[in-house]
Amino acid sequence: MDAILSFFGFGFIQSQLPRFWDGFQLTLAISAASMIGAVLWGLALVGPRMSGVRTIVIPIVAYIELVRNTPLLLQIYLSYFGLPLLGLPLSAFMCGVIAIASQHGAFLCEIFRAGIQSISRHQWEGALALGMTRRKAMRQVILPQAVLKVVPPIGNQLVILIKDTSLVSAIGIIELTLSGKMVIERSGASFEVFLFIAAVYLLLTTTFGVVLRIAENRLRARQ
Amino acid sequence: MFDILIANLPYLMKGTVQTLWLAVVGVGLGTLLGMGLGVTSAMIGGGVPALIGTYVFIIRGIPVLVWMFLAYYMLPQLGLVVGDVTAVIGALVLYTGAFVTEIARGAVMAVPRHQTEAAKALGMRKFTMLRLVILPQAVTLSIPPLLNNSVMMIKATSYVSVVGVWELTYAAREVVERTLAAFQIFLGVMLIYFLICYPLTLAARYLEKRYSYEH
Repeated sequence: MDAILSFFGFGFIQSQLPRFWDGFQLTLAISAASMIGAVLWGLALVGPRMSGVRTIVIPIVAYIELVRNTPLLLQIYLSYFGLPLLGLPLSAFMCGVIAIASQHGAFLCEIFRAGIQSISRHQWEGALALGMTRRKAMRQVILPQAVLKVVPPIGNQLVILIKDTSLVSAIGIIELTLSGKMVIERSGASFEVFLFIAAVYLLLTTTFGVVLRIAENRLRARQ
Repeated sequence: MFDILIANLPYLMKGTVQTLWLAVVGVGLGTLLGMGLGVTSAMIGGGVPALIGTYVFIIRGIPVLVWMFLAYYMLPQLGLVVGDVTAVIGALVLYTGAFVTEIARGAVMAVPRHQTEAAKALGMRKFTMLRLVILPQAVTLSIPPLLNNSVMMIKATSYVSVVGVWELTYAAREVVERTLAAFQIFLGVMLIYFLICYPLTLAARYLEKRYSYEH
């Protein structure tokens, strides 16, 4: 067993664990901050997006289509190299989080919208016929049903978000991916480092997926 | 106002060609791989679907950038003397393949049961049934998700620049480092990606709507 482990370079990886741990914590921090930002941004966009006022809807749709059809990496660069030019001296961490939250918020807005629109017209008509105001119908009839429908796609989107945090390595944030690259370049270690990093990501995304599924089942049971 | 962008457009166009090449080869081969694996997984019993499922699970749970780094460092050490470009294309192919496997499997499974039952009743062998009954219907169902997946992977080709492979995004960074015109160049290059990706997104949306009316 020891021979196998040493063949795969695990003794070396063990010696580098503090570095990977730092990177892992940063990956968690960026994921958490971006998730909160993305959900808030998506929620902020979906109301105006569905408002039906052309002068509001058109710019929002243009923004959503633009960020959804261009690489996140370029948006991270734009944020990192561009925001300081606008007089916003933000840290690399903040620039990365803003770019990730901006793209995933746009995806989440469309998921929220699809969820609300998937609720049948009859539900609206029924609620209004009972004398509810539009606001009350939305809050008490439409949203509770929409929430159940959007939980699985939101979960998928957030798993993609966790994986996308690896891209901030391109602006010099030493998260998990860049910590692996630096260990390789500094010590001449070999590719086993990235097998280890890949395993950590797999564990992270799988754990997150399982937690989401449990939460989803709880929510379903409660309703 | 866009003078720096215009002056550097020929260089960026070269990068665009390289990006398109990566996309066609990586996404094209990956789609073929995924279709093969997906159809196999839907048609064959035994341990094969579980094996293919494991491949999909492992690939999709890890960022594509990590796969690119892994391929970049691992292949040479395994004695496979391949260039950087070949290594990252390998990662693109494997990644595209995993997503397409799910799409293809889903499309085959979505063909109604009575279709296969009728084909069996007519005495068709499995392969004939696949060719004449299942695939024509499955292909129609899978085109919109395949287009969406291609858009996702075209965007992912930009990540090869982080590993150090030259293409459009790498070229954009070079130009910005030389000219400091971050907004002009990055927005301009985003527009190039948009012009490549958006028609595919629109086509997927159009086809999805058209097929959904048929049912």
